[in-house]
Amino acid sequence: MEPKTLNRRDFLKVLAFGSAVAGGLQLARGTAASETGGSSPHRWVMVIDQAKCIGCGFCTLACRANNDTPPEISWNRVLEAGKVGDKPVFLPRPCQHCEHAPCVEVCMVGASYRRPDGIVMMDYDKCIGCRYCEVACPYGARAFNWKEFDDPNPAVPAWGSPEVPRRPRGVVEKCSFCYQRIDRGLTLGLVPGVDEEATPACVVACPVGARKFGDLNDPESEVSRLLREYPSYQLREDLGTMPRVYYLPAREEVES
Amino acid sequence: MKAITRFRIRPFHVWVGLLSLLMLTGAVAGGIVITQGLSVTNLTDLVPWGLWITIDLSAIALSAGAFLLCAAVYILGLKRFQPLARTATFIGLVGYSMAVLTLMLDIGRPDRFWHALIYWNTHSLLWEVTMCVTLYLTVLALETAPIFGQTPWMQRRFPKLAARMTGLHHYAPYFAIVGLGLSMLHQSSLGATYGVLKARPIWYRPDLSVLFMFSAIVGGPALTLLVTQLSGRLTPRAFVDERLVSRLMTFIGWALVGYIYFRFWDALSMTYTYEPGRTEALRMLTRGQLAFNFWMGEILLGAVVPAAILLVPRLRRVFPLQIAALALIVGGVIAYRWDVNMAGQLVILTYLPQGIKAVYTQYLPSLVEIASGAGIIAYGAMAVTLAVRYLNLVDHRQEGTAEALEPVLGAAD
Repeated sequence: MEPKTLNRRDFLKVLAFGSAVAGGLQLARGTAASETGGSSPHRWVMVIDQAKCIGCGFCTLACRANNDTPPEISWNRVLEAGKVGDKPVFLPRPCQHCEHAPCVEVCMVGASYRRPDGIVMMDYDKCIGCRYCEVACPYGARAFNWKEFDDPNPAVPAWGSPEVPRRPRGVVEKCSFCYQRIDRGLTLGLVPGVDEEATPACVVACPVGARKFGDLNDPESEVSRLLREYPSYQLREDLGTMPRVYYLPAREEVES
Repeated sequence: MKAITRFRIRPFHVWVGLLSLLMLTGAVAGGIVITQGLSVTNLTDLVPWGLWITIDLSAIALSAGAFLLCAAVYILGLKRFQPLARTATFIGLVGYSMAVLTLMLDIGRPDRFWHALIYWNTHSLLWEVTMCVTLYLTVLALETAPIFGQTPWMQRRFPKLAARMTGLHHYAPYFAIVGLGLSMLHQSSLGATYGVLKARPIWYRPDLSVLFMFSAIVGGPALTLLVTQLSGRLTPRAFVDERLVSRLMTFIGWALVGYIYFRFWDALSMTYTYEPGRTEALRMLTRGQLAFNFWMGEILLGAVVPAAILLVPRLRRVFPLQIAALALIVGGVIAYRWDVNMAGQLVILTYLPQGIKAVYTQYLPSLVEIASGAGIIAYGAMAVTLAVRYLNLVDHRQEGTAEALEPVLGAAD
């Protein structure tokens, strides 16, 4: 073997070739990784009225049945959050579907992505289960499948029937605003937030009407009206995540 | 030839036997993890990153000797350090392979590890780290190829391949440049992985990437020297040039002083205002359950004491002290990685509207996590042990043959 030497020009050639290949790969991949491009006429938001919520947890159970989650995973959690007068106040917490979602930013494979209509989605076929999103989410909205869920779902059929496939062991999952109901409803000409079949299961299940869902782009929608007429807040506004879940704080005058 | 009946059990056999045992239990534990899933760990949705991530971070940090010494030899032109760079590069290859093994245990879907290379989210620090680590592993494999190519066995059995592998040495300066770039990127990005998370106030600060880089610069060469010095003392197959070692120890000592400086201002700047989550986590580090790890592991034994030993020639020349200093630095880097990872997860913030409060969580690794982690560490120790014995890993007798980049980058030697 004769010792070969690589001169600077060859080295630069190799570098240029390598970059071209990398760039080409990136182009070929297109925008498939995070479908953040495109636009949507809709802007889905959820409004939760803490003055009405009685903490019954029906939303959690309906969610568990419709999204087929195991009993130890709650996409929608109901927490106690202090008292107004002597009445306890509750804080139901679905995924906040942040406009600047930390989980979407940090996911290395783009398994967490944001749809143009604002729903933060999970691609369960892409997720490698590194759990960076769990560490990044300020709302604890994400759950990892530590084990396989192969038992019958105790929430089925009392609280609904599964509408999406179960997630495999080893991926992270979370609330999707019941995108399957919204998408199906829209193709049938229904209005999410108005027609039950097109509205997230937790909103439908709420016995006191504390949860509202709808399109913030539609000024006539109930969510638009509520947010116009009542003071509202979002969770951890200081973080700049801009959640799409709004809360109407508990007020003394409203009796449920 | 000596008869086989003369076989006696030597310390080497005990050492290799112990490592084999640990590797075996590690393999069994790893099998349990792969088949049963991560429910066999003590990780939770609140503390999703634990012992394995610490091992992964530490292995990468302690492999930093490879890029540093290669840069010194082939870019700065400090050619006499070439034999040390050789040792460091091999340790780097082993270290990064340990990191990859640990991550394969840690991710929920190891069958999808390649997704990170195909599906890109260029915003993600972990994506960048994954790309850099993958590319750098390739560089390390090319850099260490001559070590394998030089073995008599390879030269006898596959002379052509061996010559080709040895010939790769001529490209060493270019590998050093690429390795330097990739390492600077991902060593600091590992800190930034934590540093960009606004939800975790103790992590959310720009210093983490700098400190990860700095502690790697200290820890990597320290491990290289630890292996070198122990080999020189324990086996007649290693040949150590004390002048080289002494030079590098001075460098490590001063780098430690720099690290202490940055660490001091980093910690002190956090003490002046109350910030929910950050203040509680800092209190946990300085007075709470991580305090021993912090003051002893990281600061006193991990940095101050070894810096003093390495910078005072009279102390440095005492062999046991020297070994202790190098081992303490390695331990300090591991303690730092553990503390960073845990401090942001043992204290978490609520999102309740009536007041953002700190809440405490718990984590202690499970037996399966410990056994599999120990198995991976044993694999690393075994690989280095065998390389010292059979690959001539520590040999300061030979002079470097590769040319450094002379005209522009070459410094006065």
